[in-house]
Amino acid sequence: MASEKVIINVSRYDPETDDAPRLDRHEIPFKKGMTILDALRYISDNIDPSLAYRWNCRTGQCGSCAITINDKPGLACRTRIAPGQTYTLRPLERMPVVRDLVVDLSKGIKRLEKIRPYLERRAPPKRPEILLREEVADAAELRSCIECFSCLNACPAAGEAWQEFAGPAVMGRIARFELDPRDADDRVRLAFSNGLYDCTSCGVCKEVCMPHHLDIRRKAIERLRAHAVDEGLGPLEGHKSFIENASKTGYAIEVISTPLVEMVPDVIEPEKAIDEVTFFPGCLINLRLQNTGLNVIEVLKRNGVRVRIPKEFVCCGSVMFRSGARKTAYELIKKNVDYFRRLGVKKLVALCPGCMSTIKQDWPIVLHQLGEKPYEFEAYDINEYLVNVLGVNRMNTKDLRPLDMKVTYHAPCHLNRHQEISWQPIALLKLVPSLKYIKTDGEDLCCGAGGGVRAGRRELSYKIADQKAKRMAKTGADAFVTSCSFCTIQLMDAVKRLNLPQKVYNVADILAMSYKKA
Amino acid sequence: MKYEVIDTDVLVVGAGGAGCRAAIEASNHNVQVMVITKDILGKAHTVMAEGGINAALGNSDPRDSWESHGYDTVSGGAWLNDQELVEILVKHAPERVLELEEFGALFSRTPDGKIAQRPFGKQSFPRACYAADRSGHEIMVTLVDEMRRRDIEVHDEVYATSLLTDGSAIAGVTALDIRRGNFRVYRAKATIMAAGGAGRIYEITTNAQADVGSGYAMAYKAGAELVDMEQYQFHPTGVAFPESARGMLVTEGVRGEGGILLNKFGERFMKRYHPDMMELAGRDQVSRAIATEILEGRGTEHGAVYLDVSFLPSSLIEEVLPTMLHDFLDFGVDIRNEPMEVTPTAHHYMGGIKINAKCETNLKGLYAAGEVAGGVHGGNRLGGNALADNLVFGAIAGESAAAHALSNGMPRLDRKQIEAEYERVFAPLERRDGVRQSQLKRRLAKLMWDKVGIFRNGQDMRSALDEIVLMRTKDEPRIFTENKSTRYNMELVGALEISDMLLVSEILTRAALMREESRGAHYRTDFPKPNHEKWFVNIYVKRDGGEMKLYTKPVVITRWKPPWMEKSS
Repeated sequence: MASEKVIINVSRYDPETDDAPRLDRHEIPFKKGMTILDALRYISDNIDPSLAYRWNCRTGQCGSCAITINDKPGLACRTRIAPGQTYTLRPLERMPVVRDLVVDLSKGIKRLEKIRPYLERRAPPKRPEILLREEVADAAELRSCIECFSCLNACPAAGEAWQEFAGPAVMGRIARFELDPRDADDRVRLAFSNGLYDCTSCGVCKEVCMPHHLDIRRKAIERLRAHAVDEGLGPLEGHKSFIENASKTGYAIEVISTPLVEMVPDVIEPEKAIDEVTFFPGCLINLRLQNTGLNVIEVLKRNGVRVRIPKEFVCCGSVMFRSGARKTAYELIKKNVDYFRRLGVKKLVALCPGCMSTIKQDWPIVLHQLGEKPYEFEAYDINEYLVNVLGVNRMNTKDLRPLDMKVTYHAPCHLNRHQEISWQPIALLKLVPSLKYIKTDGEDLCCGAGGGVRAGRRELSYKIADQKAKRMAKTGADAFVTSCSFCTIQLMDAVKRLNLPQKVYNVADILAMSYKKA
Repeated sequence: MKYEVIDTDVLVVGAGGAGCRAAIEASNHNVQVMVITKDILGKAHTVMAEGGINAALGNSDPRDSWESHGYDTVSGGAWLNDQELVEILVKHAPERVLELEEFGALFSRTPDGKIAQRPFGKQSFPRACYAADRSGHEIMVTLVDEMRRRDIEVHDEVYATSLLTDGSAIAGVTALDIRRGNFRVYRAKATIMAAGGAGRIYEITTNAQADVGSGYAMAYKAGAELVDMEQYQFHPTGVAFPESARGMLVTEGVRGEGGILLNKFGERFMKRYHPDMMELAGRDQVSRAIATEILEGRGTEHGAVYLDVSFLPSSLIEEVLPTMLHDFLDFGVDIRNEPMEVTPTAHHYMGGIKINAKCETNLKGLYAAGEVAGGVHGGNRLGGNALADNLVFGAIAGESAAAHALSNGMPRLDRKQIEAEYERVFAPLERRDGVRQSQLKRRLAKLMWDKVGIFRNGQDMRSALDEIVLMRTKDEPRIFTENKSTRYNMELVGALEISDMLLVSEILTRAALMREESRGAHYRTDFPKPNHEKWFVNIYVKRDGGEMKLYTKPVVITRWKPPWMEKSS
């Protein structure tokens, strides 16, 4: 134990004397419970007193010590160290460096100051002011931001267009006033003009937010967007056709070729059924990526799963939730839930994480709000179902034939962060003989499609996608693999724009390809 | 020797609760207000206060009153408090809390929609208004937002190094701009010292790293009178494990919500010490009880005792103690299912710059508020009274300073003082070798913890004093920085800090040696009993002709008579 070490690489830079930043490598003793801040203090107290970093409370309450830790922003005092690991520490990326790890936060603070971050009342309140817990609960949970600016530095939208998207902390701050019944300012317009519709719903802001992990996406952005729709500011032009389509036809997109549900029977029987699921295709698989839908069915069938096709399914409502037109989704949800109840669905499986995270997270809330019973079925992502429910060890690997290809994986945000399914898709890829998986540096970075950004803010969406595709191409892989119909389409477009040689697949496509070679 | 001079009407040194509230108040009077802070606006130690702010609103129990709050404060403070200040504290606190809510603060609510109040140690009624367990943060966020509304100028990361005088009045401060290494002079008609506490002089502390006692040191050097400097509070419950988090505050709110203390045998030991108040006895009492359990071998392997809330409903813990829950989950302890391990930790300086009811000091043009000021809390501060102190006296200091600025001209600068301070500040950059500030800091903090901590005795303190004096005379003048850059030079800042810390430690130790009895947080094993006849006085410290002079004055009693005086009269 005593001899355990950690490697700390620290970026050093004094703008007055150095031509460029350099990395200093330190090997320091590991102590149980140690944080990155402890490591920095060890270095400055024992090895190199000239190292500059900012810290104050050491307990995650002041937000002074935010830096980039292994390419992700976070608080040094709240990031625990594991023995034997290497940590590369750099200053926050989007702020000018004062020295070493210390940055000038002024630009971030200025953006906060611009949104009138103080309560604007219509008139002084009566004393005592009566505020019921329920009235202020939504605002209260957004008040714990400590202005460390980790979120801003992780946000893909701010990364490509900070000039128009003020970033998660600012959105959280606006929402905290909008949701406060005492505030009389026009916060929705303020949010709108600060890029309300630029958020891709990737949720990285919640991931890097220490220690409270404020869910800016759901608790600020989506609530503000709902208010924007109520006030006629949203949704954006680009969103409207999807919402209209969904309310008219039940599908968010137009039918331009034979839907998957018309290509297959109601029930697909495997040789020997060990389980049964209902496959929720979602609009994109049903109407654009039918082939991937067939591959999902193929994989399930090969693994002894009877697949039922809910032929009258309608859109899950994801587009409406992400764009703020959530009330439009209520009818769709009710329709789906009633229909699944009639069918007696026990296990619902989807490939598209946009659909599945909406089913898992938004449907229960809506049903509760509508005074409806909660749905009875179990809901699974396809990877989750195969690996965790069916069991990765019990999967049919004997029929998997070698695929001689190098692939890299893009982790969809709605799968990785919103459903916490991260390693399962890779575990499935690794079942395929001869297939080589190469990790993309920044595998979990957003592709820019989500949150209605692809539909509503196409240019920004493409910028984020191109960054991601370039990272993936750098691995030298022959193919990009993901597990999301929306990410797939986004990456396909990026590959085309950038003239890249790679093809884009879903995990299910790869598995089916391997099975079909048999 | 180049430096910039910045003029303002009112200068506030420190941007914690007291400093911000002072700036806001001063800005009501149409004067130019400027705030300098060693850290960044909004990141001061005040954000770390968790439990709540006392105000006799009577929301949780209508029987509460300012009189009751006052009595609790004075009796809890071992009767050493300046009762004139206490009366102001308890009378103004409700107004300050309501006003804060009007600014935009969002406190937790009672079922009927009023500000919720939780019970704290040694208080007759649930009185601490709270925002979950991030009350200090809520207050700080509100004050910062209010400062932004008023567009009050704040200079971040500027370290005030000394007070300037023009012979008859305080003329502002000298300061180091930490980011660029520039020396600055802030000239002001009125200066408010709100630089916070000094927890960093102790090895185990709840305090942020900025809390090195600069305010006391600057004021002392300028000739201000300090009071109760032997009275340092050790909070009973700091994190014991892991080592890196040692000392971190475990809020009194945990005990307020029903948390119980157990030794390693699972015994609820408080029943042997204070069976009436149990876990909610005074902080000094609970700290000594815990320290005794640990010293007598009934502590855990991490030198701690258990603090348990696992019998409370999980949903309650999640709602009212979310910070504690997250913190301990990070340490691998789920407080919904298992106990925390806690140990006493240096928390709050009751002593400080002597102020009167207008927050005036004995130096013209210098005002003080918040932890840096003394007299309000006597020998022990009640949980929830520090935040109240911040707001109440911050507002008074702001008002008084503004009035002073309106009726006085700009003081003259004494260039000689400025030049001497310039040389002192940058001297470590000139030295090629010598002593490192980080080593001195470690040495001092351990010394103070071991010898001038929870349990004190004459012999230990005399040896501590000798060592402190030696460090001040032999080591301090030899501090050097390896790094010669003036940009964000943490060694240079550290050199200034250790100088302040050494001075404060010397003052503390001398005052503690002088008080040959036990009273409040000051506990001497060689004089374990209070001696009302001889020592029911406040100890004052002042620089006089270059010497550190200690003297006593009677305690200011206006309303609440200590029990031993009741009997004799």
